[in-house]
Amino acid sequence: MSTHNHALELLPAYALGSLDEDEAAFVAEHLVDCSICQDELDAFESVVADLALAIPEIEPNGDLKQRLLVRIHGNGPTAVPQTELSWRERLELFLQVVKGVRLWQPALLLLILLLVVSNLLLWRQVNWPAPDIGAGRMQAIPLSGTGPALEAEGYLLVSADGRNGALVVDNLPILDGDREYQLWLIRNDERTSGALFSVDERGYSGMRVTAPDSLFTYTAAGVTIEPAGGSPGPTGDKVLEGNLFTR
Amino acid sequence: MDYTVQDDETLIRLVAQERADALSELYDRYGRLIFSVAYNMVGVYGTAEEITLDVFQRVWTNAHRYRADRAKVSVWMVSMTRYRAIDVLRREGVRPERNSISWAELTIEPISPNRNDNPEAAAATNLRKQRIRAAIAELPIEQQQVLALAYFKGHSHSQIAKILDKPIGTVKTRIRLAMQKLRWLLKDESIAT
Repeated sequence: MSTHNHALELLPAYALGSLDEDEAAFVAEHLVDCSICQDELDAFESVVADLALAIPEIEPNGDLKQRLLVRIHGNGPTAVPQTELSWRERLELFLQVVKGVRLWQPALLLLILLLVVSNLLLWRQVNWPAPDIGAGRMQAIPLSGTGPALEAEGYLLVSADGRNGALVVDNLPILDGDREYQLWLIRNDERTSGALFSVDERGYSGMRVTAPDSLFTYTAAGVTIEPAGGSPGPTGDKVLEGNLFTR
Repeated sequence: MDYTVQDDETLIRLVAQERADALSELYDRYGRLIFSVAYNMVGVYGTAEEITLDVFQRVWTNAHRYRADRAKVSVWMVSMTRYRAIDVLRREGVRPERNSISWAELTIEPISPNRNDNPEAAAATNLRKQRIRAAIAELPIEQQQVLALAYFKGHSHSQIAKILDKPIGTVKTRIRLAMQKLRWLLKDESIAT
């Protein structure tokens, strides 16, 4: 089954919010670049909203409106306390914004990516925390450019349970046709391939990461330049690297 | 400006301009609906209040992101409400069994008119609700069952499969068929803007 058809089948459940995390991540990633599926999702979300009309209505407390107005006025209209996004909202927003970043001038990419990801996942924090196995939430782990791609950067997005991940990279050099980038998940002396990809004309790419084990079991990640089709182990220059989880 | 005569999309544009009165009007139109969705999912009054406040706060801060070509304002808000409620259910393990609800338990209750509703509008709303409930009643019982578990309790496929002791593929199929049929049956129904 093609990726597109598989995503189409999952859209009704995605609109309901009943997909398991790995499938939800798959659909969210697919939606970034598929307007057909986005239109279908809009239709199913309308059905979900219509179902709300079937629910018996309950009147909230009469002071709830006043409490709302106090919240938005009390701290000023631009200083409303940020509320935590749901897992799905974080993933969708992250993928949408990173996709949009492709259209910005290169000089702004680093600042925008840092601001977006820090607001998404490091709410009210300033410094990047070390990846935490027990975080209980999705984490975005930064990867730094190195070697021939010092200006490149990436983020490895890891689901709350560590079973699923996505990689987003930017500013990587475009490779000729007989080479591709390959993501390696590192554990002791083992190097496990997690993704094989090329970048677009702006050096951007986003893809799902596959791994035989939980991503929590890997201590580092790296991206290298390999022959097209990939290699059983790293052979080329390393372009991105980052620390993952410690035990 | 008389906000009561503005359509929802105009109100959202005004909210994006930090017009609190526009948000207030949206609350008058949809506060009860949002609260009802939240309460019927989490079953705890205070939590439902917090979710309601959260949703309207997000409308306040994210109005500039709203896209009318994607969804009606009401759909956007109900979606936010459900995602927040599902988050709460999954994170806090809230399973309000005493407030559980199935589609079969829904009855037509007298509609308390909204502040600005005239009798005709109230009757039209009631009729629309009846049609939506009738559409749900047309679903096979097993599809209603999985839909209720997903809609009201925020259960995932795998959780529903475990609860019902059914293969996960069966659950997926039932949900997909139920939603597809409802989409077809409700294609002319929609939350009023």
